[in-house]
Amino acid sequence: MTALQLDRVSKSFGDFKAVDDLSFAVAPGEVFGFLGGNGAGKTTSLRMILDILRPDAGSISVLGEPPGRGNSALLGFLPEERGLYRSMTAIETIVYFGRLKKMAAADARRAGMALLDRFGLAAFAKASVDKLSKGMAQKVQLAAAIVNKPKLLILDEPFSGLDPLNQGLLEEEILRAAKSGAAVVFSTHVMQHAERLCDRLLFLAHGRKLFEGDQDQARATVPQHLTLIAQQSPAGLAVVTDAIQTGAHDDGWFAWEARLAPGFSSADLLQHCTANGFALRGFEHHRPGMHDVFVHIVGSAEGLS
Amino acid sequence: MSNNLLLIAAREFRQIAATRSFWLTLLIMPLFMAGGPIASKLMKQDRAQSVMIIDQSGGETGKQVARRISLNEQRIIMIELVRHIDRRNISLPKSAAWAQKGRRQDDQAVEQFVAAGGQQAALAAIRAVSPTAAQAFDLPEPGYRLVKTPPSLIAQTPQSLSQALEPYLRPADTAKQKPVDYIMLIPRDFGASPAVGLWVNGQPRASFLTLVQGELAGSLRAHYLTGNGVSPDIAKRVDALFPAIAVTTPPAGTGRDRVLIRSIVPVISAFVLLMALLLSGNWMLQTTVEERSNKLLETVLACASPNELMYGKLCGTVALGLTMVTTWVACALFAAYATQGDMAALIRPALEPVSTPANIVTIIYFFITGYVSISMIFLVLGVMSDSMQEAQGFLTPVLFLIMIPLTLLAPAILDGGTSIGLSVMTWVPLYTPFTILARLGGGIPAWEVIGSGLLLLAFVTAELVLLGRVFRACLLNSGRRPSLKAIFQMMRAPN
Repeated sequence: MTALQLDRVSKSFGDFKAVDDLSFAVAPGEVFGFLGGNGAGKTTSLRMILDILRPDAGSISVLGEPPGRGNSALLGFLPEERGLYRSMTAIETIVYFGRLKKMAAADARRAGMALLDRFGLAAFAKASVDKLSKGMAQKVQLAAAIVNKPKLLILDEPFSGLDPLNQGLLEEEILRAAKSGAAVVFSTHVMQHAERLCDRLLFLAHGRKLFEGDQDQARATVPQHLTLIAQQSPAGLAVVTDAIQTGAHDDGWFAWEARLAPGFSSADLLQHCTANGFALRGFEHHRPGMHDVFVHIVGSAEGLS
Repeated sequence: MSNNLLLIAAREFRQIAATRSFWLTLLIMPLFMAGGPIASKLMKQDRAQSVMIIDQSGGETGKQVARRISLNEQRIIMIELVRHIDRRNISLPKSAAWAQKGRRQDDQAVEQFVAAGGQQAALAAIRAVSPTAAQAFDLPEPGYRLVKTPPSLIAQTPQSLSQALEPYLRPADTAKQKPVDYIMLIPRDFGASPAVGLWVNGQPRASFLTLVQGELAGSLRAHYLTGNGVSPDIAKRVDALFPAIAVTTPPAGTGRDRVLIRSIVPVISAFVLLMALLLSGNWMLQTTVEERSNKLLETVLACASPNELMYGKLCGTVALGLTMVTTWVACALFAAYATQGDMAALIRPALEPVSTPANIVTIIYFFITGYVSISMIFLVLGVMSDSMQEAQGFLTPVLFLIMIPLTLLAPAILDGGTSIGLSVMTWVPLYTPFTILARLGGGIPAWEVIGSGLLLLAFVTAELVLLGRVFRACLLNSGRRPSLKAIFQMMRAPN
């Protein structure tokens, strides 16, 4: 069973199409990156999954059910814009949201205390939120999101505003949730986190899906770059699109930046050089990062590449 | 009722009940009720006006005017004593002639009252029957106080008198003496001439002029009669000829007093509703603005539906209002009990209109529907605002709309409660709860209560549907203050 499935979902606000014919699925135990620039439609999509907004077309299945508060007991959600009731204590806040997710008060308190303990906040359980530091309050909010051990954890830009320590803590919690079988969907435009965490990725621009697949598949969409040390330009090779000389070495050897034709890997180039007697003294393959992938996929769609 | 709705209502209630302002407000009303009479006594000023009589005609006329003023003061005390025992259904023995049925209130009756010991003897007679009633009697404030006339003024000539009176009418700031309010000159030739002088430190009271004019007219008549051959004895008898008016008053709590007494508790309950509503509505507005400005709504909406959030907040606010009103009523009952039943005896007729089962149901119905109808407006104002400053901008015109017509409510009710304005306000849903509550005392036809109640219910239902749409549409619309046109569009479009 898929934990989450969207099938040809669309949503407009007046004349503005926020989400356009979007389909994807997330399996239990999978960390799914929902990536796109500002205004790509990520938050609207997540709000539709949570039944905060209703789609104009298409269907959504959340843990086998249509979206709704009926399955809130199995969901965890951390919104992009975060806040807490300032006059409530840390543990009261967690218990309140636990109870809204249909937990018994005692169970919510027990789980909440365990989470606060794990986050190093046990001593602040009875401190009101307005007396906590921003970092502490963010941990309380994370605890409120996962107190019910959700089967589907949805995080909207979860790393924004977090200091590096809390970013690390959040990464641990995402991996812990996935290991325990939860499907984790998070939106971000910070590619380092996506690179470290995601099993699969979806790139979105102007509400439309541009790519869905694993990280290797994503990298494969970006033309490969290599630095070659050769006596002559590799531009004439069949697998190379173009090459630029970037430096000169002794004895007639030069440094070249070469871009491979789509569909060819660095191994293909090596094989081609060997077969055709093309002499190489140096060979360095630049593995594209997710940042490059993002710029390539999303930037192309937005006309910025 | 869903579990989430109750959780939201309970949280809303707890958050507001945990604030200092809630407890201060809860206590201010009983403190105000308890401290009001004390403060009123402390603030009370001597309203008795001072009267100086300069009688250059021999002294007899001056004495008669002074006696008239004194008799009038005693008459007021006697009438107040009679009303006091009437309200408490106290019967006194025949020795207390002033307290008997069909009593007269003319000069002779007052003179008898004074001769029998006046106020002291009357209170002793009441005390023998009901000590608490005697203790509860509030002596009426005297209207006029006679001040001694310096002999030097009597000897003044008419030409020098005005200057001689200056220090009495307008004493110097350093003199530490109060100005005299009235100085009356009875000239040497009074009788032959009707002229009398009166110096007043401000505008004279009509009651004072009537009082002295009556007495001086008697003196002039007597002088005229004796001057025309009538014996002084007969002239005195002619002067004493007055109709003997026997006063019969309706039982306490009836007649014109009825509407007034029976309307006290309903009018107070209408204003208590208004006060509780404005206070709790304002708190709800603050919590809603806090939820928006703290970016909390999305987290809550992931677990609870917009309707659960809306109804939960409304339920929490209604519960808060009921708690406040229940506390205030409990304090009032405790005060009535603590005053050993005296206050209870006084307010029994006032409680009559609100103690029948039908009226209790009416009060609860209009209280709750009124609460929901106004709270809904506050809730929507809160959800349209990103800050309290912005909310105040919306709130001010709404408060004017609610408050200004209601300021006319109490005078209209106490004036008889039959004005067209009141009938119109009864059918305007925004004012219906207050107007119906206030009109209960004077009597209101059942069809009007039921009809306006149904209209109010329809209004509240329409509010929940239409303003509910605005509430849901505005929930996550931060940073955009909707225009009036946009609000109407939100009302038309189901979310």
